[in-house]
Formats: sequence, structure tokens, C-alpha cells
Amino acid sequence: MRLLALMRKEGLLLVRDPHALAVLFIMPALFLLLMAGAMSSYMQDRLPPLQLSLDVPQPSEASDFFRTALQAQLPDSQIGTGANVATVRLAADFSDTLLATPHQGPTLSFPAQFDRLSRQRLHSAVSIALAQTRLLAYLQDSGALDPQLSAAERLELIQQRTQSQIDQQQQLANGDLSAQANATQMSVPAWLIFGMFFVVLPMAGGFQREQQSGTLLRLRCLGLSLRTLVLSKVLPYMALNLLQFTLLLALGVYGLPALGLEPLSLPGNPLAYLLLAISIALTTSCLGLLLAALARSTEQALLLGGGINILLAAIGGIMVPKSVMPAAMAQLAEVSPMSWALDAFLTLLVGHGSLVDIAPWCLRLLLLAAVLGGLGLFLFKQRVQHTQWTTHY
Amino acid sequence: MLELRNLGYRYPGSERAALQGINLHLRAGQCLGLLGSNGAGKTTLLSLLSTVLAPSSGELVWDGPRSLALVPQQLAFYAGLKVGENLKLFADLYRLRSAERRERLQLCIDCTGLADKLQRRAESLSGGEQRRLNFAIGLLQPAQLYLFDEATVGVDAQSRQLLLAAVEQLTASGKAVIYTSHYLEEVERVAQRILLLHEGQVRLDLDTTQLLGADHGLLLEWPAQIPAGFDALLSRLQLHAEMLPKGLRIAALNGEQLAAISTFVSAQTPLPTLMRFGRPSLEQLYLRLNGGQL
Repeated sequence: MRLLALMRKEGLLLVRDPHALAVLFIMPALFLLLMAGAMSSYMQDRLPPLQLSLDVPQPSEASDFFRTALQAQLPDSQIGTGANVATVRLAADFSDTLLATPHQGPTLSFPAQFDRLSRQRLHSAVSIALAQTRLLAYLQDSGALDPQLSAAERLELIQQRTQSQIDQQQQLANGDLSAQANATQMSVPAWLIFGMFFVVLPMAGGFQREQQSGTLLRLRCLGLSLRTLVLSKVLPYMALNLLQFTLLLALGVYGLPALGLEPLSLPGNPLAYLLLAISIALTTSCLGLLLAALARSTEQALLLGGGINILLAAIGGIMVPKSVMPAAMAQLAEVSPMSWALDAFLTLLVGHGSLVDIAPWCLRLLLLAAVLGGLGLFLFKQRVQHTQWTTHY
Repeated sequence: MLELRNLGYRYPGSERAALQGINLHLRAGQCLGLLGSNGAGKTTLLSLLSTVLAPSSGELVWDGPRSLALVPQQLAFYAGLKVGENLKLFADLYRLRSAERRERLQLCIDCTGLADKLQRRAESLSGGEQRRLNFAIGLLQPAQLYLFDEATVGVDAQSRQLLLAAVEQLTASGKAVIYTSHYLEEVERVAQRILLLHEGQVRLDLDTTQLLGADHGLLLEWPAQIPAGFDALLSRLQLHAEMLPKGLRIAALNGEQLAAISTFVSAQTPLPTLMRFGRPSLEQLYLRLNGGQL
């Protein structure tokens, strides 16, 4: 009865704290929407089409073949004319120098906003189309090509001679999958985890207020057990974490497509998601307990909690995906529990992993929760025992 | 109800004991007014009584199970909860159920005049109302001993009467009370016994009936010096006066002696700035015993 009364009190205080609600629900939801939108063109399953023009000063059979071969390499892209697009410029003597060695290829000209990946894609496509054009010229020159073949038949023949079947195997559910995640798969779990860790703020701040106001003195004089006091803090915030988990996933599944963004799909066993949610919630609650015991004022709790969360997020691949970090930074990310939680999430979302696949990350989180909780419990007990009768007058 | 035997406490690292050799037997239905200047040891004693601190020496012996409720100086409630929610929360924590719960809740609400504030958030109450809520939460707890620490600071005069009446009701119903306040007239009203602490020791343990039964005295103050001839008058009336910074006090005198002094004084110029006849107040006693320190 006492535990339930204290838990109900925590719930009421939380519901009436607009700042806490903003930090726990509105902030991660906004981050989720903004970052999913902002990264949607960069992190997507299919690369976007390129806008380019082909500048041919001296049209010829060879330049026509080059255009067709280039279009085949970039099927979604439009090769036309226009300003502020990438330009492939063929030399005036393009068809005459195809068999020359060394060979001078076309000139590529990129507008400023053309990103590195698009430049590489265009460069690769031009290289392949040029090699195919040169092979065609060689076959024609050596008389190995039937002159009766149509342009389409020639292209098919050249493609058969230059393309090989390369088998690709995805080692899913294994390792860092952030490079394969689309913007939705990256943003939803990242900002969900970030938001869940922020329960440490109201948890630690509330405890400071309880001590400063003298209510902790009242509770202590009532002879409440340490177990009741700790559970009355940890259980409501764990429940809150599970609510955050559910609502923010729902935002990813239903909210993002409503905004024209890639929807989140949740493949795999629901129990795996539950295990992950409980592992994160236990970690955040135990961290909150430790901070509650360590901080000496609400201001300190705010600074400590906020600072630790932002640091863990910065190094843990929440703000910047680990896939774009240099090796040393990516290695440093491994110390952040947010990174463990994100890896487990991506294993489910991107790698279509199972409960067994995420177990190592969940185990890490649970071990950390045990360490934080043990230390937090020890310091919390000390703190409660040192609660003094305070006088002002 | 509660006996303190040679109770003492020394804070870690401190050379001097904050409290030493406290012996006290508190009876059911008795209100003890705990007085002392800052640093005298009041808070340490309250901390020992409420088991926030463990005694360094001596012991606390309860007659029966330990049963204690407290109203601390701090506003010890949840500001984000409504008044009614705070009371219900603490009713749950005090394990109050069914009829007893309803009765005690109603009693506390009536005693503190909070009936029309139950739906208001505690943080939106005035300072005095918050103090009343703090008081109500302490009063709600069923206990044999109640500790009140500066419980009426910032409370308006009307509400103060309500709270003091509630304390009187407690003692009348057989509960023991320890009441500390810098408002000595409050202590004088509710306490049947006064314990004055000074530098961690009991300086005075006085039954207030002694104070009430004390002889009536006369307090006189003049703007300048005492008029010539006054000493001779006192000798003739066989009275002894205690000299005070601005005048004097005559501890005990009868009607004839009072009439003679009044006749003498009314013929003098200038007249006294203060002439008061009655029993000594607790404040006068306190100031005298505590070296002029409140």
C-alpha cells in the first residue's frame, strides 16, 4: 500500500511537470521527426537519381553508344541538358581516339552542391560506359563484330562481355549496421534511446526536491524501508520508459509516413523488442538512482544528467552515425550504453535479427544496470541516512 | 511515555558535545516547551527523538512501542500535489484505513482550516496556508508523541489560534507534545512544562504552573534615572527591587505596598515610561535566565 501510494505520487508529479514531459516526449519526438526528414535524402535504401548533362561537340556513332551505355549504368538518372547539373564533356575527337594509349577520357564537371557519393557514382558510371565504348571500338577495329547488329544488340553483346555475376551475401544481425540503415531506421531508435535516458533528470531532480523540502525526513521517520523508497523511484520511471518506447516507435510506424517519410517497420519477435526496452529502462533507472544519490541540488542533477546524456549520445552514434565516424571514434563509441542499445535496435530493424542476436547487447546493458544500481543503492542509502533535521529559524 | 536518560550527542569531528546529560521524563498528556537560543541543542535533541541521529551516550526509553509524529520547520510536502492529494498520500503512508482514515482526515482539515483548499496545488497556497498544510500532515499521523518545530512561522493570527488549539487538543486527549518556537507567548500558552537548553545542557526545567503561581510583581521603567526618594520608599515598605537596564522589578508586593508606590510615582516628574503589575511573563523569565538572548 505504501509503495503504491508513493508510486502514484511519482506519477502525479510527473504528469504535472510540463518541463519533464517536454524533455521526455516532445524533445525526442521532435528530434526524431527532424532528423528522419533531414537525413532522408542521404540515408535511404535506393540512391537518388543524378541530374547530369552530356556535352557532345562532335556527335558520332561512338558518342551515341557512350550515351546509351551511360544511361544503362544510371537507369534512374536523366541525361539531358541544363545549368547547375553535373556535366560529362566528350572531346571533339572522341571517336577517333578511343583506341589510343594512353587514353584521355571525358571531362567531368560538378556543381558545388554535388556530394562526394554522387561524384563517385558518376565517375564509376562514366568509367564503365567508356570501357564498353572502347571495347566496341576494338571489336569493330579487329573485325570481330558483326556489322549487321543493331545498336541495341551491340549494347547487349558488350554488356555480356563486360559484366559478371557477383554474388553478395549480407551478414545481417552482426556488427554495426548503421551504414545500412535508412534515415527512419537510424533516427527512430537513436532519438528514442536518447529520450529514454533523459528520465534521469526528473528522477534525480525529484529526489533533491524531496530532500530539500523535508519530505524525505518525514518518510525516514516513518520507518519506510530502503527497498520501498528505491522501488518507489525506479518502478514509475521504468514504466515511463516503456511508455516512451511504445509511443516513439508508434510515431515511427504511423507518424513518419504521414509526413511523406519512410515508415518504420518492426520485423522480428515482439519479445525481442520487449527485452531491449526493459534492458534500456533498467539501465536508465539505475543511472537515475545513482545521479539522485550523487547530486546535491536540483541544479546539479540537471547539469550532471543532461551533460552525461549528451556526452553518451555524442560518442555513442546517436547524433552522428558510427558508420561515418573514423575508426578510433567508432571504437570509442563502444563505451557508450546508448551505442549498445542502438546496435541492438539496428540488429532488429536492419539485420532482422532475433532475440538471441540482441542478447549480447542486452546483457551488456543489464550488467551496467547492475553496477550502476548497486553503486546507486549504496550511495542512496547513505544519503537517506544522512538526512538531517534542518532548521531555518 | 518517554524517558531520556543521560542523553548526549557529539557531532563527528566536533570537540564540544552538542548535547550532554539530558535527563527528562515526559508524561502522556504533557506538552513540553523546548526553548534555547541558536546552537543551544534544540535541533539535536529533536533529531535524537526522531531517530534521525543516534545518541552518543545515554538512552531513550519508550514506555511501549516508539510512536512519534513530527511537524518539521521545512514545508515537508509535495508542492506539485493538491492539498487533498498530499493528505491522502500521507494517510496511506501512515497506514490509515476506513473510518479512522476518514475521521483523522476530517479532523486535520478542520483543525487547520484547509477545507476550501483541498483542490488547490500546494505550491499555489500562500506561505501561511502551506504552513497549515505542513501542520495538518503531522497532525494526521496517529502517535503518542508529537514534535512541533517552529510550526507556526508565517501563519496569520487567526490561523495561529486554530493551530495552537489543535496542540492543546492533543495534550487534552492524552498525547505528549514537544513544542519549540521562538514565539514565547505560544509556548507559554500550550506548554505545561518548559525545558530551557543552554550550550547543550538543561538550564531550566520548569513546570509552568510554577510560573503561573509566581507572586505578582511590579515592573517600572523611567526615561532617565530612578527618581530620588524611591529607594527610601522601598526601605520603608520593606521591599526589595531587582535592577534592570531601564528600571527595576519588584518581585512580590501586596495591595497596600502597590498603592503606596503608585502614589509616590504619580507625584514625580517625569512619569514612568512603563508601569506593569502582574505575574512575570515567560519572555521575562527566559531573558533573565538566558542572559538577555532570545
